[in-house]
Amino acid sequence: MKVRNGLKNIAILFLGFCCLSLSKPVNKTVRDFSLQNVDGKIVSTKDYKDAKGFVVVFTCIHCPFAKLYHERLNQINAKYSKLHIPLLLINSSDTIMFANESLPNMAKVAKEKKYSFSYLFDPSQSVAKDFKAEKTPHAFVIWKEDNQWTVKYNGAIDDNGAHPELVKTNYVTNAIDELLAGKSVSVAEGFSIGCAIHYRK
Amino acid sequence: MTQTTPKSIYRLIAVLSFIISVNFSFGQAFNSLWIPDTLSGTTFNLNLIDTFKQLRTGNQTVTAGVNSDFWGPTLFFNKGDTVHMNVHNYLNDSTTLHWHGMHLPAVMDGGPHQVIPPGTIWQPYWKVTNNASTYWYHPHLHTMTQEQMTKGLGGFIIVRDPQEAALAIPRKYGVDDIPLMLTSRRYDGGNAMTYINCSYGDYMLTNGTPNSQVTLPKQMVRLRILNAEMERAYNLGFSDGRTFYVIGNDGGLLNAPVAETRVILAVGERIEILVDLSSNTIGDTLNLNAYNGGFGLGFPGGEPNTSGEFGSLLNNKTFRLLHINVGAATANAITTMPSTLANNTYWTANDATVNKSVTVTGGQPGQPNNPFGLDNTHFDFNVINKTVNLNDIEKWTITNSNVFGHTFHIHDVEFKLVSRSTGSVGAYESGWKDVLYLPIGSSATFVAKFDDYSDSVHPFMYHCHFGPHEDGGMMGQFVVRGSNTVSGINAQPNISTDFNLYPNPAHNKLFIQLPETNAGVYYLRMSDVAGRTVYMLPQPQLESGIDISMLPSGIYFVAVTDSKFNTITKRFIKD
Repeated sequence: MKVRNGLKNIAILFLGFCCLSLSKPVNKTVRDFSLQNVDGKIVSTKDYKDAKGFVVVFTCIHCPFAKLYHERLNQINAKYSKLHIPLLLINSSDTIMFANESLPNMAKVAKEKKYSFSYLFDPSQSVAKDFKAEKTPHAFVIWKEDNQWTVKYNGAIDDNGAHPELVKTNYVTNAIDELLAGKSVSVAEGFSIGCAIHYRK
Repeated sequence: MTQTTPKSIYRLIAVLSFIISVNFSFGQAFNSLWIPDTLSGTTFNLNLIDTFKQLRTGNQTVTAGVNSDFWGPTLFFNKGDTVHMNVHNYLNDSTTLHWHGMHLPAVMDGGPHQVIPPGTIWQPYWKVTNNASTYWYHPHLHTMTQEQMTKGLGGFIIVRDPQEAALAIPRKYGVDDIPLMLTSRRYDGGNAMTYINCSYGDYMLTNGTPNSQVTLPKQMVRLRILNAEMERAYNLGFSDGRTFYVIGNDGGLLNAPVAETRVILAVGERIEILVDLSSNTIGDTLNLNAYNGGFGLGFPGGEPNTSGEFGSLLNNKTFRLLHINVGAATANAITTMPSTLANNTYWTANDATVNKSVTVTGGQPGQPNNPFGLDNTHFDFNVINKTVNLNDIEKWTITNSNVFGHTFHIHDVEFKLVSRSTGSVGAYESGWKDVLYLPIGSSATFVAKFDDYSDSVHPFMYHCHFGPHEDGGMMGQFVVRGSNTVSGINAQPNISTDFNLYPNPAHNKLFIQLPETNAGVYYLRMSDVAGRTVYMLPQPQLESGIDISMLPSGIYFVAVTDSKFNTITKRFIKD
């Protein structure tokens, strides 16, 4: 028995939001991107003429697991930006769904946590989609090969969120160290855990 | 006879301690059983959050909880009270919250139609008419139920009433009256919970505690046990084979305690048991176990596989659910068992004036695009599968001549099982229930009265309570049709014309004035200028206004829907 429009209406009324799930594996290459930084300026991967690669980390303000990594992001950037592998932090939250995931609120976090790197706003989620980012935090190490950005590592930053002192494997820095030594990355995919990135339809 | 030398004694001790260490090594150290916090009163604030918890060695596990890092508070309701829920969805995704077992209007039920978008506050309310028993709440978002329940969303509801309160049975929550939420999880290499192509967990999480133990007093103890698994049934029993007493089913106390040594508890079912520890010695230990070996295929968790979609390290074997240490008795300990508990008047098959049947279909192996269904169909939001007339007493027969065991849960009512094709209805399941175990190759018949709440548009669900099965569409929906379109605790005629909204701009409270003094609103939805829903108010009580004090300043829209689903939207400014 088909129900009259009423039922359809409630379904439409309340099912306005749903989720798009992106599946692995990640793209082998990703495109250059330009996004607005928390200081208001546009930052592009093309601005970094001498970058060998980037550590790109997707995050958000509200995820409790992403909040565990502020200090470690600063440490990674402090060590590797000098070696021409800067860190770019990107917030690709669905801003329709999460009003608090805004550029002014991101700027507050950047100031409070003394971010030493650009914290970029991706309100259209286009960069996250290009990377097929799934979680916050979700880290990528991309490397310049044949004038293209190749994804060399995809996944968690390390293997212990709440207890940095108990970390056994630093996935991201291990990958960079191997790349800098001219080796291939031994662990190209680490378990990415955290809150799901909600893709707007 | 050889003389026992000190050396051989040492050897004996070494062997014994080796045996002891082997016996305990499978369980690492025990962890103290978490007892959920409690909330009571008539207003309940439930915040659904994404979070994480240390469940294993190494990385934390991403979880979700209600005011907590896994599972949620136990809500205490008094029968007769009207309870108001403020459900705030802080999750990264839409959800719903279903009040499992509660008798309430369909629009308050928290089924798949009452989707709560992220950031939204949903405020259902209802008068508690259920008997004293153990109920629960959990997400019910279609196709997302397994994922959201796996992450830990849910909690107990304990209803108190005067009849139960007058009995001399254990009632000190967390002391001699213990809620036990039984479930298990599988983890990937990063300690994340698995919920795709995964019917069973590999590690028990009793109340969210791995390797749980609890110290219980040397007296009569009440366990309120919930099977919150995805598919596994538990054949419950104690390691010393002792007799325990079933005193309650899903929807209330049995008329008298039923002595058992083993009871099967399937997904969604609750059972209250009394176990007598008074003749134990302080320091004694025993286990509550699942004796799940030897049932064979068809028993949920009876598959021999230890891995894969239908495999598990806990399949087809005996495993521990809870380690119990016997401690000192409390003051005013209960040490005896009442001979009678309640005087229920149950429906009989003869009371039913309408018969309905539901048949398990689909799910045959090798047909991946044909998941389990009911009556050769799968859940469709826009299809009402059955209609019930308000106040009818109906007899439903559920038939499973399919390929696997299931459970069957129906919303709105507590029913009485009147017959099973496998023989008589067990004494341990002879009380009010809202979930029944439906073994492979059997049928079960229940009788229920569908009273108090009609709504010819907004449906209630009936479904298999296995997460993967209900998500796959093994679910139907029914409406209860009354003489009016909508009846219930705030039954109102339709809004015939426009409504007034004042003051505008508003600061603390917003008032909605309807043209007719006795008019009412079926649903009120408030959203901001970007289209974010901020409030969802089913059948709102508008006399004292809507509290908008915590909203940021800006333009908002109020959409008022009447019981015939005419919607009028108006704008106001919050200053």
